[in-house]
Amino acid sequence: MRQRPDLERVEERMRPGELTLHGFLGMDDRALADVLEADERAVRALGRTHAQFAERLAELTDAGRDILEREREVEGRYKVKVRDDRGRLPCPFGDGLFAKGDTVLRDPRTGTRLRWNALTVHLVRIHGFYGGRGSDYRLEPATLAEVLDLGSAPEAAPGPGRSA
Amino acid sequence: MHDVLYAVAVLCAISGALAALLLVAEHFLADYGECTIDVNQGERRFTVTGGGDLLSNLGEQKLFLPSACGGRGSCGLCKCRILAGGGPVLPTELPYLTEDEQARDVRLACQVKVKRDLEVQVPQELLSVREFTATVERIEDLTHDIKLFRFALDGDERIRFRAGQYVQLVVPPYDEVREETFRAYSIASPPSDDGAVDLVIRLVPNGIVTTYCFEHLREGDTARLTGPFGEFRLHESDRECLFIAGGSGLAPFRSMVLDMIEHENTRKATFYFGAVEEKDLYYVDFFSKLAAEHDWFSYVPALSGAAEGHGYETGLVTEVVGRHYESLDNHEAYLCGSPGMIDACIKVLADKGLDDERVFYDKFS
Repeated sequence: MRQRPDLERVEERMRPGELTLHGFLGMDDRALADVLEADERAVRALGRTHAQFAERLAELTDAGRDILEREREVEGRYKVKVRDDRGRLPCPFGDGLFAKGDTVLRDPRTGTRLRWNALTVHLVRIHGFYGGRGSDYRLEPATLAEVLDLGSAPEAAPGPGRSA
Repeated sequence: MHDVLYAVAVLCAISGALAALLLVAEHFLADYGECTIDVNQGERRFTVTGGGDLLSNLGEQKLFLPSACGGRGSCGLCKCRILAGGGPVLPTELPYLTEDEQARDVRLACQVKVKRDLEVQVPQELLSVREFTATVERIEDLTHDIKLFRFALDGDERIRFRAGQYVQLVVPPYDEVREETFRAYSIASPPSDDGAVDLVIRLVPNGIVTTYCFEHLREGDTARLTGPFGEFRLHESDRECLFIAGGSGLAPFRSMVLDMIEHENTRKATFYFGAVEEKDLYYVDFFSKLAAEHDWFSYVPALSGAAEGHGYETGLVTEVVGRHYESLDNHEAYLCGSPGMIDACIKVLADKGLDDERVFYDKFS
């Protein structure tokens, strides 16, 4: 897929050492447009929207928040640890600043470990970006659907909508 | 054949001439000449060569606005008011400016190009911000993920600041980081110790600056700092002070308590420090000793994740504060830590009758 010039600039900002130490794309050698396109298709195939995934991630962060950053059990299933760090991270798409600090979720039922932060939730919700393959914050839509109990919807949901 | 070669030669000549014309035009059209930048209605005024961005031009004149992205338009911290000459707000600025800020001519200095004379307004305290070069004098492990870094200012340099303020540490390009990066850290040393700056830094996973500090910075290395910045400070009053912190939020209170001691303070103050386990506590002996030596000062470390019997109070720091007071109607509270901790503290303090105008905090966001 041909990449628009504005996405080229975003991809630049996603590279290691620009906004974060390891960047947003991991080992992924695809163009950002292709990464977005592939995840868009995956989310559509699941009959879900980016907003639904983002809502669920934000909900789990809120439920797992502890003022001393201890791991908490959430919904009788997940082990969630929320860490706050000083400072804010800019969105590589250039539309906001987001509090630093990670949420780490362990799901003993599936053995899955997921990691995200406030910027990740924004990237999923607004830009449909789930991280490049092999990146520290990659959230595979199919894995998210399974772990977060957001399997295929009974009826295909409307398109996720993305403003990149 | 000759006709073809002739046509190619003519085409190349025309293309070359056009390219040269464009270069000449750019040289003259983009030449903004000398421009005057007036800061705070004449408090500072300097002449620069037009064409550069305002943030860099101010920096070259040793006037430092906060910035965490090195002028790439992605952190939104280098805000200032442009009263004249700034031109229209750029799309790259809009995500970082509220409607109210736009109405007040607030701009991102890194996005404003100096093309004509400018009138700029910055917070008054920024006029005293300076850049310092320093040598890393000492690095000390405080916990498994928190270290003390002591930076001795080079030469006879002195930094004037109020206890509670912060500096920005400037980290050079390293590994895959291609540009300088800045991050803010509260000063942990007292203002009287003005030839050095102590910073308490907690390792942030994947953090550009903390990774550099923990994995690359060594004693004897050179570093750059700008500051002081910030409004967090002890307010004048006779009310009893509650200092509440967790993690690296201890830093400004170390500075404040030492400053109070040096000023022969008699105002009562209690420092509550919350941690999960004993391994997360640090400076326990330091603050315990101060509490033993000064009647007005008390120190209460609290552990939330350990059973009783270790000599510390147990429970969340908010619960511990709640247990200690029936009413907080003659107190002031100073908080430093994560947004979650601060929000929880504000609620407990309000429940105990502490007016929110007497709660001051330095939130990690």
